[in-house]
Amino acid sequence: MREAIVIDNLSKYYNRFLALDNLCLRIEEKENVGLLGPNGAGKSTTLKILCGLLRPSSGAAYIDGINVVERPEQALSRIGTIVETPEFYPFLTPEETLSYLGKLRGMRGEELRRRIEEVIRLVRLEEWHAVMIEKFSRGMKQRLALAQALLHDPPVLILDEPALGLDPRGVVEFREIIEGVGKEKTVFFASHQLVEVAQICKKVAIIDRGRLLAYDDIAQLERKYHSLERAYLELTGDSHE
Amino acid sequence: MSEFEKLKVVTGYEFLKHRRRKRLYWILGAAIAAELAVLIGLPALGEGYPDNIMRMAALLSIGPSFATIGAVFFAGDAIAGEFERKTGYILFPNPVRRTTLVMGKYLACCIAVILLIILGYAIVCISLLAIYGHIPIETAKSFGLCLLFAGSVLSVTFLFSSVSKGAMGATVITLVFIMVITSVLDGVLTMADQPSWFLLSKAGDSIVTVYGGYEIFLPGGMPHDLPAGVLEGPDINLSILAMVIYLVACFLLSLWITKGKQLA
Repeated sequence: MREAIVIDNLSKYYNRFLALDNLCLRIEEKENVGLLGPNGAGKSTTLKILCGLLRPSSGAAYIDGINVVERPEQALSRIGTIVETPEFYPFLTPEETLSYLGKLRGMRGEELRRRIEEVIRLVRLEEWHAVMIEKFSRGMKQRLALAQALLHDPPVLILDEPALGLDPRGVVEFREIIEGVGKEKTVFFASHQLVEVAQICKKVAIIDRGRLLAYDDIAQLERKYHSLERAYLELTGDSHE
Repeated sequence: MSEFEKLKVVTGYEFLKHRRRKRLYWILGAAIAAELAVLIGLPALGEGYPDNIMRMAALLSIGPSFATIGAVFFAGDAIAGEFERKTGYILFPNPVRRTTLVMGKYLACCIAVILLIILGYAIVCISLLAIYGHIPIETAKSFGLCLLFAGSVLSVTFLFSSVSKGAMGATVITLVFIMVITSVLDGVLTMADQPSWFLLSKAGDSIVTVYGGYEIFLPGGMPHDLPAGVLEGPDINLSILAMVIYLVACFLLSLWITKGKQLA
């Protein structure tokens, strides 16, 4: 199986603070991997480097074998992302926003129009497709964020707390969507919700203070620690959180 | 898909954003109000329109040049806004170069400002034609200088927007730089009898002084106690050079800074 994401000795300093400490991780094609860790563990930093938003201090990151730092445009063309709680341009509608982002990814005409309709229906924003985003709640923006991540049908999804801000129904719908698309895509997503991770992913990587503590099948971790929750708590036990 | 095609996409949607924002229409309203103040205010105050068409053209041209300064308000958040409001989390992970994004944003701002200036000068031309029956060629020169000034003001705004953490900060710093700092420096340099052509505000004065220096605004002519040359406008060629330098240097710097900026 090909490796869709390779994180190779990745380190990142914010001034003198070491956020990532020689992190190594390899995710195979069509694998769904959850990234767990306490606040400040380095989850968002890792994902932001993969999305070209941050530059690593050392090491390298690859998407489908393409170096994210050296060839960002080629690497980014293969991913769909939700990073933190994204904001949108308030004076555009979801349709216009998706059209803008789709065109930047080379989508055009009927293909783009059809795909916009599909993803808007998928995230249940049909009634809001032509309303200015300035009127949107946080949960609706999160749905739109998922729509833009799936718009170009990317082979790799990188998601950072993607269910944040969604109501309980929205969380369930979101999980079902990711579970569905995750069968055909590589999904790498950071979350604090162990239940969510266990439902979507077969494997998890647990990090703390920028270091990898465990990277294994959830079933293996459950056998070893009795539950994913116990594994998480024991592995990150000396965290200052 | 080529970067040029992406540039067209970015420019189109950035311009759409400007069209939807109220501030564009506030700036347009302010520019028109400045022109109407001249057109209505002069006869209302009993002065009537000046006999000298150049004086009237210079007074009316203040409107569109005011619009140029107003453009700082919608260019200030062009880059800083992506980081401050976190819209960059959606825009930057797309397969498009940061330089293309900045260029697209710059072009969209340029289109918006050019439209404001064209509208402003259309009012100048119609007014002059209605009052005096003809339009002096200096109006065309003033229009060209105003476009160049707009480009250089936008470049300076983009530079401050690329280094600022917030859109409001970028807007305020740009306005203070253009309207306060360079004006104070201009005053100091003029008093010290030193050249000040390289200051952006001084170069911008050429938009109205092209009609006949600063003395065009003095109905009684030049006061006798002033040294020769003080009321002469800035040299047009040097003003053009200064504005081109600001336009190119500040824009290139903003491209370079934004390219290396991280979104933590």
